[in-house]
Amino acid sequence: MSVPLLLVAFFVARLALGQDAPAPIAPATYVGSEVCQTCHEDLFNAILQSPHQAVNSDKKHGWDGKTCESCHGPGSKHAESASAAEIKNPAKLAPAAADRTCLQCHLNQPTHSGRIQSSHAKNQVSCTACHQIHAKGPLGLVSRKPAAINEQCASCHASAWAQFQRPYKHRLPEGAMSCVDCHNPHGSFRPSMTQTFAANEPGCFRCHTDKRGPFTFEHAAVRFESCNRCHEPHGSSNPRMLVRQEVRFVCLECHTNLPSQSTSTAARAALGVVPPAFHDLRSPRYRNCTTCHQKIHGSHVDRNLLR
Amino acid sequence: MKLTLLSVLFLSPLLAEEPATEKPAAAPESMITGSVDVGYRWVSGPAGSLNTYRSIVNLGSGLKLLGAEFTIVDTKKRLFDRIETRAYSWGDDPYTTMHVNARKQRIYDFNADYRNIAYFNAMPSFANPLLSRGSLLNQRSFDTQRRFSSFDLDIFPSRTIVPYFSYGRSSGFGGGVTTFVTDGNEYPVPNRIRDSMEDFRGGVRFEFRRIHFSLEQGGTRFKDDQQLYSSGITNAGNRETPFLGQTLLLTNLLQSYGIRGTSIYSKAAITANPVSWMDVSGQLLYSQPRTDVNYQQSNTGNFVDLRNLLFYTSQQYLLSATAKLPRTSGNIGVEIRPFRRVRILESWLTDRLHTASSTALPAQSARLVTNYSQQEIDVLVDMTAKLTLRGGYRYVWGDASSIVLPVAGLNGFDSGKLQRHVGIAGFSFRPGSKLSVSGEFEGASSGRSYFRTSLHDYRRMHARGQYQVLSTLLLAADFSLLANQNPAAGAQYDYLARQNSLSLHWTPKAVKFTIDGDYTRSTMRSDIFYLVPQTLTPERSFYRDNAHLATALLNIPLPPYRGMTAKLSAGGSFVVSSGSRPANYFQPLMGLSVPVAKQVMWVSQWRYYGYSESFYAYEGFRTHMLTTGLKFSR
Repeated sequence: MSVPLLLVAFFVARLALGQDAPAPIAPATYVGSEVCQTCHEDLFNAILQSPHQAVNSDKKHGWDGKTCESCHGPGSKHAESASAAEIKNPAKLAPAAADRTCLQCHLNQPTHSGRIQSSHAKNQVSCTACHQIHAKGPLGLVSRKPAAINEQCASCHASAWAQFQRPYKHRLPEGAMSCVDCHNPHGSFRPSMTQTFAANEPGCFRCHTDKRGPFTFEHAAVRFESCNRCHEPHGSSNPRMLVRQEVRFVCLECHTNLPSQSTSTAARAALGVVPPAFHDLRSPRYRNCTTCHQKIHGSHVDRNLLR
Repeated sequence: MKLTLLSVLFLSPLLAEEPATEKPAAAPESMITGSVDVGYRWVSGPAGSLNTYRSIVNLGSGLKLLGAEFTIVDTKKRLFDRIETRAYSWGDDPYTTMHVNARKQRIYDFNADYRNIAYFNAMPSFANPLLSRGSLLNQRSFDTQRRFSSFDLDIFPSRTIVPYFSYGRSSGFGGGVTTFVTDGNEYPVPNRIRDSMEDFRGGVRFEFRRIHFSLEQGGTRFKDDQQLYSSGITNAGNRETPFLGQTLLLTNLLQSYGIRGTSIYSKAAITANPVSWMDVSGQLLYSQPRTDVNYQQSNTGNFVDLRNLLFYTSQQYLLSATAKLPRTSGNIGVEIRPFRRVRILESWLTDRLHTASSTALPAQSARLVTNYSQQEIDVLVDMTAKLTLRGGYRYVWGDASSIVLPVAGLNGFDSGKLQRHVGIAGFSFRPGSKLSVSGEFEGASSGRSYFRTSLHDYRRMHARGQYQVLSTLLLAADFSLLANQNPAAGAQYDYLARQNSLSLHWTPKAVKFTIDGDYTRSTMRSDIFYLVPQTLTPERSFYRDNAHLATALLNIPLPPYRGMTAKLSAGGSFVVSSGSRPANYFQPLMGLSVPVAKQVMWVSQWRYYGYSESFYAYEGFRTHMLTTGLKFSR
């Protein structure tokens, strides 16, 4: 199915943009970073103290001695005229074009194995939105401290950050965790760019190891739709970060005593409606299902998740 | 002693000498630079529920290492180029962390991470069947610590071959309260929690100019030794009335789990750029976790077997079980750039797993299968250098089933299918460096979904914009919406969540203060049809959560005194929510930083935590927290 779609997209794009002539290539040549240094000494010094100093001796990509031009392109014309129009400035390029500049060297690295699925890439969030290329310092390209990482992510994801102000949340505002503990900003094939753990399992199990299983008797929802079926990982007004105010309301949304539709041909949403239960919810004993069904994430010994 | 220390910390600004105003002579780069922030925290009360305070905040009084950050540079670059170390919240704080990075260019890169996080949860209203009797005992509470450590080492013997190794350990220990469940009654008893997992992995990355691939082998080792223990105490449990004239009770209990798990996985990943107009990436993984369980239980008291209507006074239970979870997952993505302004992204993934388990009891076995696949194509067109449009389509399909034997009167088989068609659209508009706007829309129609509340027929929207109004003022807005409906008879699920955020960052040059603030309005409603268990009468469950959330921080430099500039901070956050569980949570704060010498800063902060709930007034708390200390920098 993908091949016809791909072909259609290919030809539509060609028809739409077939007239688009490639941009003229400026006949500039490489002049070396020392020429750049004469005017941009502060930037040159900063980059020599950053991880990008490695570019200066990078024979693998042919950039040795051309650190500045590795991103900005050949600089002879700019050096002659000192005109900003004569040099490529990735900060002013369209995000995709800016990314291509970075990916000249960084494409074939393991951090990019989920890039094509990444919603950052699809939404034109370029590398320079998070990484400061001219920043001074060995770890200066991107925030490393949890509080700084969280601040950076929150500058775009304000509504997600707001959820962490709720009483029940992961400990991000306290600086014990950061957004990248759970999300991979470079992309992941999991939904919401969530991190994976070990065998591509949800990153939640890296910390919540006792919930990982495999269990003799699984709670299917955990395997089929992961933890956020019942929990709000960013924060909730409900204890245990539950999606509903009390446990019984979480459970009853699936375990509702309605007959299973899974056997019918028109199955639409079936799992979990059985087994039926006839507990009297007027009794406080039955209002919190996990009082008895305590191994709610899966049990090693009891099919009803009671122990 | 604490008072003396407090006095010293408070008086230190007054006792400080005037800092030297001469410009120091240029010195070679220091071997060690960084800062240490040491202080004392005093916590009042808290007034109200201590258990809720510990469940939500859990900070205590005492001397603390609030933070330490060091960079060690070896100018001769012998064993390392740099070592970066940072540690926060040491001294019996609930969130203790440390991170060390050591690297030598083109030789190695080493990262170590340690966290010790206290997990306490004993909300009085949660899992409390005895609440109506005035008891505030949470029967699903715990007071545990979880410790995480990880060590990652990358070695660079050449520019193209990078071996790497990693070891991690996660362990939890502590106590809690849980229930021992028998027919007709359940008894709250103390619970001892002790589990750990070790995670090993190693591999080699091959990085060439046009292709990279990694081969990785890893595994985990897990053990869990939970125990419930109660001796010599007559425990009447939660049952309020005799059962057929007899009082059900527990007098002695030993319940212990011996769970051992192993897992091994193999992974291969690739990213390639075979031609200039195409990128490829993919991953394939196979794993097979396994757990072996030995469970024993011994209890005495007065119990009932409901199936046989038989009363008995003691029980022994031995069980062993095994579960395996073979899992194969793979994904591949292709980016094609047929023209300068067009990108086509195609991705496909599959995740297939099943668990197979059995116990020593006859015919007690279970099997769970889930196969998930997804395919997506997106076309991105740069209409101009400032406008990019995106359109796409995602198809999600899968099947899942769960079988539990024996049936024993209950339905032991459950299966479902997943089928979802999703249309995708988006745009990104950056007319200049001052303004950027982007938006994304997904609309889906599902033929089949697994659960009544799963994503079914849904619309998801997300838009955000940033506008640099002045060189000193940045405004940003963020809007998200998810509307999901499942029209199936018996579900009639209707869900709508909306979040609107507005934030600003203002740094006026004239007055030199900075303001950061954001406000979010969050609304959520969820309606679903269900049958009341005891009467099987139809009801609708309504959940509402409407909240105002705001954070703000104002930083004001105070007038210089003897060449030193102190800084005053004020702000905090609040959440006011209404709906199904109305709650208010206020966290105002005020801070003062005063330089007392060239490399010493006196830092103090006052913070207030106030939490209240309308329906569970006994869960509220309020407390003042004052932290004061010295920050030494070098």
